[in-house]
Parts: sequence; structure tokens; C-alpha cells
Amino acid sequence: MNKLMRIDEVVDAIPAGATIAVGGSSLSRKPMSLVRALAARGRGDFRLIVDVGGPEVDLLLGTEKVRQVVYAFVGFEIMGLAPHFRRARESGSVAFQEWTEFTVMAGLDATVKRVPFLPTHVGLGTDVLAVNDAFRRFPDPFGGETLVAVPALAPDFALIHVNLADPQGNGVILGDGHVDVLCAKAAKRTILSAERVVSAEELQRYGRDVQIHRIHVDGVVEAQWGAHFTGCAPYYRADLRHVQDYLTAARDSASWAAYVDRFIGDRHADYIAAVGGAEALIGRLEV
Amino acid sequence: MSDRSSEERPGTTAAAGGPLGASTQLSPTPTPDTSYTMDELMITVMARQLHGEVLVSSVTALGALAAHLAKRTHAPDLAVLSTPESGMEVAPIPTLTLGQFLTDAQQGIPLTMEDIFDAIFLDRFRIWINPAQVDRHGHVNITAIGPWDHPNVALVGSRGIPEDTSHLSQIFYYVTSHTPRSIVEQVDFRSGAGYGPDRARELGQPGSPTLLVTNLGVFDWSGPDHTLAVVSLHPGVTAATVAEATPFPVTFPDPVPTTAEPTAAELALIRAADPLDVRKLEFLSGRAAAEGLVNIYERERQALHAAVWPHRRSR
Repeated sequence: MNKLMRIDEVVDAIPAGATIAVGGSSLSRKPMSLVRALAARGRGDFRLIVDVGGPEVDLLLGTEKVRQVVYAFVGFEIMGLAPHFRRARESGSVAFQEWTEFTVMAGLDATVKRVPFLPTHVGLGTDVLAVNDAFRRFPDPFGGETLVAVPALAPDFALIHVNLADPQGNGVILGDGHVDVLCAKAAKRTILSAERVVSAEELQRYGRDVQIHRIHVDGVVEAQWGAHFTGCAPYYRADLRHVQDYLTAARDSASWAAYVDRFIGDRHADYIAAVGGAEALIGRLEV
Repeated sequence: MSDRSSEERPGTTAAAGGPLGASTQLSPTPTPDTSYTMDELMITVMARQLHGEVLVSSVTALGALAAHLAKRTHAPDLAVLSTPESGMEVAPIPTLTLGQFLTDAQQGIPLTMEDIFDAIFLDRFRIWINPAQVDRHGHVNITAIGPWDHPNVALVGSRGIPEDTSHLSQIFYYVTSHTPRSIVEQVDFRSGAGYGPDRARELGQPGSPTLLVTNLGVFDWSGPDHTLAVVSLHPGVTAATVAEATPFPVTFPDPVPTTAEPTAAELALIRAADPLDVRKLEFLSGRAAAEGLVNIYERERQALHAAVWPHRRSR
């Protein structure tokens, strides 16, 4: 089945209030072309699920599209704190639920395995259990020790950026898959954006690098430089110059409005032109 | 368990461990040189804690270099993760944007998130973590300054620290600026479990904080009721300096050992493994940090090409 879609069709397919899991990790392989389109004209009121989040969470917060964030981490790594995340956390304008790296994986895995929760020791002795009422302590029914029940996380949609995809929805990730496979399996509908769409025959040559399987995928969008300004190894690295521009713009509402006006839309080609064009990106970012 | 024996060598050069900002050299010194900077002293101390055949994280530059140094000296069986992406059996060259590229170029063995968390759950994993706050009882915080639900400063979220503190038999922390802001009586939020009644009731022994290395000295929690105690002070650091920088009483041994300084061989290994001085960014803030970062970002592709690129995987 041919699952090729345009970015605007993806935006139209996601209803208000949807729970959206996003793949990648902080400044690595975030599906930014899809996220920018949702920031521009997504219906909003979204509930985001991220393990290690970064610009995707911050941008959707900065464009007021978010109702709740489920996260283990949101930040810009060495570049600093995520400005809109920080502001929203401090003002309480959006609901936040702090999880941890493994418990986000376990919550997604519970949905995949169709059980209501998975048990763990993670969180005992910390304040995560005090502020996140989704978790429950319970006694091990066999031995009696205290365990934590991690409830299932059930995304309506997963958005994942891959190196290559075929039109049927198989996806190649060259390098760290982060939690993308769990997101793809747990979500009711999974959308891939891909640096390049290739034939099924060509994709099959990638063997074990085909980390995402088409039985879990509902849509495929071709978006070269689609992770920008995060990186997409081994093609291009994160654009720390643009990260600096983003952080500077986020300091006040006027410059942020100008940033959104200049860069945020649902036409990926316009974005690439706005950041200087593919030739300039190759020179700065290709490794 | 701290490797105290290695800390108990008396200090020799009191002036050597000066503030890091004074050093701006960008390439290794060609002649053997025993002068060092604080990052190098801390890395050496951190390396000496790593032993055996365990997976070692290198999520920060100091952690990466400590793992690398340990593997190249006393702990050859360490399985060192690359920086910061998931591969092992590579030199964890500190970088801002090229972690996965270096793992690929060196043909690192790929690991998944499941592999890494399974290693944590099985206690075959070690990590040096640099929290925003560490407290008297060994709790740590990277989540928020102030109350969680309306923080004065929202930080990043607990990430994988709860996993570490509920499963590992040794946990290592470092802080590059030992002040009353970072070393506190009680953390504002417990991202990681220290010693206390919750641990006794729910967690038992796993995850007990082992050691804290700061720019002033080496500490553990062997004081009364598992409170912070000095293991050694860095050369030139006095007990009065530590007392002033720490907003609660710290236990001192008598006499107070001086932290062993890096050897010329250790310094050479650190400098060769971090030709761009990424490690020094962890000691900078504000404008100096931003300038240092841009400088490294603009140069790192070219500099690292020469070092490891011949094996690059084709597209």
C-alpha cells in the first residue's frame, strides 16, 4: 500500500486534543518539518509524550499548541534550558507530568503488550513519585516488596524522522534508534518523515538498519533536511547557530513573533529557503 | 566504595590547581608538563573510581574523559560508551554535534536504549553525573530550583537518574563549582535518591551515593547518619575554604589527605583525547561559555576529520 502523504495532509489528520509521541532525542533526529507544520496550523490542545525532548516540545509550547507534556527531560543539552518549556513550567500555564527515561519506555511498552502497567523499582527514593500521580506503589504479589506500577502510555499518533523510508512505511534509521521503535508500535497511527523515499527494493538492502516496520506505519512524508535544526546522522549535524538564533528569539514576545513569522509554516521548502537554502546547509552541516 | 588509597598521597604543588579560566591554550603542550588545570585534576580523580568490566557512560565531557583515562591506564576491561550516542568500543572523543558520526567512523558496536537500561538494572553500568544540586545526604536534583509545581527555575527533568539510583551499587557525582548554590543542606527536588528514611523503607542498599568530586575536594557520605564527609582536599584548598563554600557542617578526617595530582602520562592522555578542549566548557558560563562553544562548533568537523575519518561509513 502506498502511504505517501504531504505535510499538510498530516496536519489535517491530527485532531484537536490528540496525544502525540515524538521520536528522536533532544538535538538528534527530531521530526521538525512535521512539528513546524503543527506549530503553524495544528488544531492544538495536544498532549505530548517525549522521552528526551528538546526543540519539538519547546516550539509547540511557544506556539500554544499544548495541553500537557509527559517527559523525562526537555532541554537543549549543552546549549542550555528550553526557554518556552521553562516559562510554561514556571508559570504553570500548561500541565506537566515528570516521568523518567525508562518509565516512558515502559509506559509505551505496556501499550504494545496490551497490559495496564509494567512493574519497576525506578522512582523509589525520589520525588518523581511525589509529583507524578500517574505512578502507583504496590506490593509484589509474590514476595511483598514495594514496586512501582508504570501505567500504559497510549499515543494516538507517533511522529518519527528517519533516514530513508519506502512508500509502504518501512523506515531505515542509521544509528541510535532512541525510543522510536516503541513509539511506532505503541501509537494508533505512526507518521514517518524521511530524508529520502526510496523503492521497497532499495530499502530492503539496509538489513538490520530497517528499524521501523511498515505494519506499524500509516503515513510517509518525504522531507530532506526534515530534522533541521536538530541533526540527522550520518547526513548532517545539529545546527547550533540556528539553535542560538532560536534561543535569542525566544527571549521576548516581539522577537519570538518575528521568528515564528519567518520560519514556522507547513511548507518545508519555504523553511529551507528561509534558513539559507540547501547549498548553505550542506556547507555548514554536512559531515 | 571509594578508592581512598590513591587519594592519600601528600600534595606537592600547592599552586598548580588554579582556576580554570586562566588557561586558554587550545592544543596539547608538546613537552612533558606537570602543570594542570582543575578539569584535568577532576578527570584524574574520577577515572580512578572506575574498575572492572562494566559499561561506562560518557554523557558529559568530563565523564567521557574519565572513562577513557581509566580504560587506558588501570581498567582496560571497561566497556566505554561513545559520546553521547549509543555505541561502545570507541574512543569517546568529546564533541558538541558529532557523537553519532564518531561512533560510526570508529565502527563502534551499536547499543540500544534497552541494552543500556538493562545494564543499569543488572548493575553493570557506571556513570559520573553532574547535578545542579547535591545535598548533605546525597540526594541530587536536576529538575527544578524551588517547588516542583511552580519553580523559580525549571531545569530539565529527572531524565535517567532515578534508574541509576534505584539499581546501581555505586553512583558517582561531580560538581565543577562548589558553592552554597550547588552543595546544599537539602535539595529542592530529589531527582536521585540519597541516604534517608525512604531508602531504608523502600529501596535498600542499591543506588547508595558513593563519591562526590568538586573543584575543592573529594567527598563521600561517611559522616554521622550518612552525611557529607571529606575524603581529600585538592592541593592548595583549606578546610576553611570548604567550610565557607558548604552551607552545613562537613566531617573532616584528621589529618586531611591531599588529592593525588595527575601524572604527566595522565595529562597527556586527557589532552590527546580532547584536542578541542570541550572539557573546559563545563567550567565556563555566560559569554565565555557561548564564545567557547561557537569556537569548538566551527572547528570540530575539520579537527576530528583528521583524527578518525578514514573509516567513515559511506552513505
